[in-house]
Amino acid sequence: MSLLEITDLDVHYRRRTGRLHVLRSVSLSLSPGETVGVIGETGSGKSTLARTILGLVKASAGRIAIDGTDVASLKPRQWRELRRRGVVQYVFQDPLRSLDPDLTVLDSLAEPLRIQGAAGIRDKILKILARVRLDEALLDRLPGELSGGQRQRVAVARALITEPRLVLLDEPVSALDSANRVQVLELLKELRDAGTALLFISHDLGSVAGIADRIAVLYEGEIVEDRPSADVINAPVHPYTRKLIRSVPTLRRADRRTPEGIPA
Amino acid sequence: MSLLALRDVKIAYDREIVHGVSFTLEPGAVVGIVGESGSGKTLTCRAALGILPEHFRISGGSIELDGHDVASLTPKQWTALRGSTISAVFQDPASYLNPSLTIGSQVAEVVRVKLGLGRRAARLRAVELLASVRLPAAVYKQYPHELSGGMLQRSLIAAAIAAQPKVLIADEATTALDVTVQAEILDLLAELRESTGLALVVVSHDLAVVAQFCDEVLVMRDGTVVEQGPVEKILYQPEHEYTRLLIEEHESYGLERYLVTS
Amino acid sequence: MFRRILTLPTGRIAVGIIAFIALLAVAGPFLAPYDPLEGGAEILAGPSGAHWLGTDYLGRDVLSRLLDGSRVSVLGSIQVSLVALVAGVIPGILSVYLGSVFEWVTLRLADTLIALPFLVFAVAVTALLGNGIPQAMFTVGIMISPLFFRVSRAATLSVARSQYVEAALISGASVGWVVRKHVWVKVLPPIAVALANTAGIGFVVVSSLTFLGIGVQPPAPTWGGVLAADLGYLSFRPWAPLVPTFLIMATVWACNLLADAIRDVSGEAGRALLLNRGRGHVPARTA
Repeated sequence: MSLLEITDLDVHYRRRTGRLHVLRSVSLSLSPGETVGVIGETGSGKSTLARTILGLVKASAGRIAIDGTDVASLKPRQWRELRRRGVVQYVFQDPLRSLDPDLTVLDSLAEPLRIQGAAGIRDKILKILARVRLDEALLDRLPGELSGGQRQRVAVARALITEPRLVLLDEPVSALDSANRVQVLELLKELRDAGTALLFISHDLGSVAGIADRIAVLYEGEIVEDRPSADVINAPVHPYTRKLIRSVPTLRRADRRTPEGIPA
Repeated sequence: MSLLALRDVKIAYDREIVHGVSFTLEPGAVVGIVGESGSGKTLTCRAALGILPEHFRISGGSIELDGHDVASLTPKQWTALRGSTISAVFQDPASYLNPSLTIGSQVAEVVRVKLGLGRRAARLRAVELLASVRLPAAVYKQYPHELSGGMLQRSLIAAAIAAQPKVLIADEATTALDVTVQAEILDLLAELRESTGLALVVVSHDLAVVAQFCDEVLVMRDGTVVEQGPVEKILYQPEHEYTRLLIEEHESYGLERYLVTS
Repeated sequence: MFRRILTLPTGRIAVGIIAFIALLAVAGPFLAPYDPLEGGAEILAGPSGAHWLGTDYLGRDVLSRLLDGSRVSVLGSIQVSLVALVAGVIPGILSVYLGSVFEWVTLRLADTLIALPFLVFAVAVTALLGNGIPQAMFTVGIMISPLFFRVSRAATLSVARSQYVEAALISGASVGWVVRKHVWVKVLPPIAVALANTAGIGFVVVSSLTFLGIGVQPPAPTWGGVLAADLGYLSFRPWAPLVPTFLIMATVWACNLLADAIRDVSGEAGRALLLNRGRGHVPARTA
């Protein structure tokens, strides 16, 4: 059974000028332990997709099932209960904004567990710190006192602390420099290998291609291609995907850009 | 003779921040600088443009721009050189444009000041410039908020090349843009280089962006050039551990993993 | 936070003056050399060894009346601030969370209160509820509460839209949790500033009302009352109104200085520090 099953998802906002379609009949599924990259540029609807899965944006039509539960019909209280189980977690792009600046690392990490009312919080925190390779001494620092890489690892640790089966990552490495990007990607790879399903959402195919089993390309609110990574990259089918693949800068000098440009 | 030559340039605030950068740029050539924020790449560019932030100074070495030692330039001479000999575009194009003036009037103003043309002639030249960066004519009458990031960056490139400079510095000029738009802007720079013989300094945190069309690459970290050489050597025989990290990131997490090697 | 305010010179002056006024309010009635209600001395006398600030038109000792009256003024000001605080902050935070109807009603109420001229309104209400300091101060407190409503609502709104609140919601946090763990601490510094400001306003209002004779019955001494009485006899004691005026001004000025000091230490770094559970360095914000 799928861990996440999205069927014909539609999201539109009402505007005075009419409906603004953000997502159109998006279907996407994720099996346990699978890693999928959703690639989309500005305005493709990729953030809305993540927020809809998490119940922060209301779907206009379609069905989203998380671990067999149809979440579209959930009442706020039921949503809270589902979230408290910690099955799905989310890592934001910018840890400086997604961690409360006034809470210590310890308090930020403990929060999901405290919301659950879990026991043995300190042990779990120490375990997760070891896993993301952060020093215990950082526990009573504030986010502002950490480096960018440390902050993002705290954000990842926070998401992992409830032992989720699915983690949504919204541009998890875009704000980091190379050294930290490699560290966080390594961490995510370990996570993938340990059987956690990951849904990467990014504008930058180049930064997540190497870790995704499958790539779904989101273009103007529609998924135009959803196939294994190697196929998407080596033999893109949709014109937009072709343009995208050609645009990603790579170290291969052989595919140095062609002067005739890229079809619109 | 080289257009731009940096010889062991050191930049200091209260202590030294950039510890010696050297490169020479020949007409039509492209030099790339790769490094994180804080590596000193932007300060190096600003030194070459004569626009170091307040209290920063060149504490060692020399910069020669089109035959002039910049240390001996008066502010007036600098103003004359900027735009007509060396020019630049940066990240976040929106912050370099006045939101209450049309794109066209801002480009035309640069033309008027730098080329001393009259209003009508300046307007005609501005329209030509916008066309040369592949912007539709309608952009002339549009305001910055009406344009996408890529179009704004094109407008700034149009303004930057208005006085036909010999050197253009592109400092993270494509960083905030979508990948496809980034590719279009990089294509545009490559085209300008071919058609006008413009020499480029391309600065990026992404080695792949620089590798696309640079002849020589400098890898900077913490104010030091850790590795420098022809792009092939940097890509295929990297010596420094940091360069290897940059390459490894692409090899293990990027597209490269899947690309069929032909 | 308090210690940090004391590192600023303005903070030290403000706290010094406020502490002095508070001391007057507590100990003033005991320090008064004469019964403030008892006349019988020479009327409208100038300063002398027996009466440092002279006597008023009924021969009462002015120093005693000022010392005794300080309590009414200070208590009144505290009452105004507390009423405004409670009546403003709670709906201010809740207006963000309790849905659009509650939001609409509280916003319109706040607008209405701001539109009313509050001194006039206070006069009308005391006419209705009876003439007493508590009634008058309660009314004024309610009238000032929109200030707290706005400040706390604005702070709450900015926090409510933040990613860390979203992160908490994604982990299943309830609204109550979010308010307790995230919103509350962010709302505190702006409220502290507003509180110091309203304490100053409270002083002016108490003094204005008592000057007009509202809220206190005539024989009871207050700063505003003393000022009003002195003004009636300018030709005999032209300097006399300066004393209560100076006291009122100094207190209001100190409250405003304190508000500025709180604002200064509640900047990005200062705020982090005041919530820093006693660790002594300002965290560096590296972007």
